[in-house]
Amino acid sequence: MTAVVLDGIVLGLQFAILGAGLTLVYGLGGVVNLAHGQMAVFSAIVIARLIDHGVSTFLAVMIGIAAVGVLGLLIDLSLMKPVYRQKGESRVLLGLLLMLGVGFIIDGVLEWKYPIEALTIRISGDPIPILGVNMRRGSLIASGIIVVVGASLVLFFRFTTFGRATRSVIQDERGARLCGVNPATVRTVIFGLSGVLAGVVAVTRAMSTPVVSTAGVDLTIFALIVAVVGGLGSVSGSFFAGILLGIVNTFSAFYIGTYITTIVLLLAAALTIVLRPSGLLGEKP
Amino acid sequence: MTDHLLRVEGLSAGYLGENVVHDVSLSVGKGEVVAVIGSNGAGKSTMFKAICGLQRATSGTVEFAHADLTAKKAHAIVRAGMVYVPAERHLFPHMSVRDNLALGAYPKRPRPEQIEFVFNTFPRLKERATQHAGTMSGGEQQMLAVGRALMSSPRLLMLDEPTTGLSPLLASEAYAALTDLRAEGLTILVAEQQVPLALGLADRGYVLDHGRIELTGTAQELADDPGVRKAYLGV
Repeated sequence: MTAVVLDGIVLGLQFAILGAGLTLVYGLGGVVNLAHGQMAVFSAIVIARLIDHGVSTFLAVMIGIAAVGVLGLLIDLSLMKPVYRQKGESRVLLGLLLMLGVGFIIDGVLEWKYPIEALTIRISGDPIPILGVNMRRGSLIASGIIVVVGASLVLFFRFTTFGRATRSVIQDERGARLCGVNPATVRTVIFGLSGVLAGVVAVTRAMSTPVVSTAGVDLTIFALIVAVVGGLGSVSGSFFAGILLGIVNTFSAFYIGTYITTIVLLLAAALTIVLRPSGLLGEKP
Repeated sequence: MTDHLLRVEGLSAGYLGENVVHDVSLSVGKGEVVAVIGSNGAGKSTMFKAICGLQRATSGTVEFAHADLTAKKAHAIVRAGMVYVPAERHLFPHMSVRDNLALGAYPKRPRPEQIEFVFNTFPRLKERATQHAGTMSGGEQQMLAVGRALMSSPRLLMLDEPTTGLSPLLASEAYAALTDLRAEGLTILVAEQQVPLALGLADRGYVLDHGRIELTGTAQELADDPGVRKAYLGV
């Protein structure tokens, strides 16, 4: 029982950081990044290739995360420009379709070029007992990294000038412009940050499970579910929802079967939309 | 009146290809308080939005502090020192009063003396410093909207119907605060339906009707004008 909860938390932290990346971009500009999981896999494969070529793991990880951050910046500065010129539903639809396309392209290229490539980051050492459960070192280190990244994000959005400006655009874009905030700049920087978070997902996940080149779609779906449940635009909501859903996931896998987990998670998202449309901690009205 | 802070020439603006504001010209001198009066739907808000970059003007020029701000983006115009407080306020509902104020100083960090100045002008905001803006009353939200605008130490404050949704008592309190700001030397351009309040505050005024400036003069001249008295003062 304790083991199931702990495993759920470990998984939930990965969900959390996935959801955070998606929710920020959606909250700011209405773009549902359906390529978010694929961006994470892109970063994983970059890292795996670099390690294959003899680059040290640490350096490869840094380059891989930076690469996906730059990918995020470039997508915002190119493909997303016509999206942000649209308003309301057409903006959401155009953003969704274009990012779906980006997801297909990343998926296609990776499957064509590196069909059997996968990123695994081995953390050696014996398991560490926590509350009587032997936890793998890789899982614990991954969770530690996510907690640090998550806490930094929360502090960034709460206490820095740029972080506050980001939240202002999420809450009232016109109000933000009247304070001198340029929403376009904020969106570009945050799309890049979202890419970095996708990279963090790839790296932390690879510490316990191989991240294969076809994992993108699943990761995108998880990100979407967490973002919906947590509330669009809210990082702390993503963390709350991620951990909750991680536990729900491992429980349903343990007591029912792994085949049911995605359905249970989708059900949780659907219920959230019906009962609490702004999500658990959503900042969007 | 040679030294204009704001000079608008031949401004037209509207929606869906149809102009609501036609060929409006007005000016505001440094240290002046100027009122634009007109009934609901006269085009005051459209005119303000076009001046401050929230809406594209179809023609005309906007010059501020001898710089051409025509067709500049809203955030750039704010940074130039012209700050607009819309009737809808556009506060950040899930942020505290203090965070809302801090954003007013963007891109700089808020200076303690600025926050102190706003709190002195609106002591109620100090009491509510940690409360979320979305949970405050209409009057408090209006104070916060003006307070947030003051945080950037603007050279020109543009207020669109600051009395929207306020009771007569709160409305006159709001104008009392504006009178204090005027005494501090702040330049103000205010659009208002509540004509007696606006003319009580302003040095000069313009009457906007169906998107055109029909009359201009000192506040006293406008208050004495038979047409204005009949249409807006109910006498």
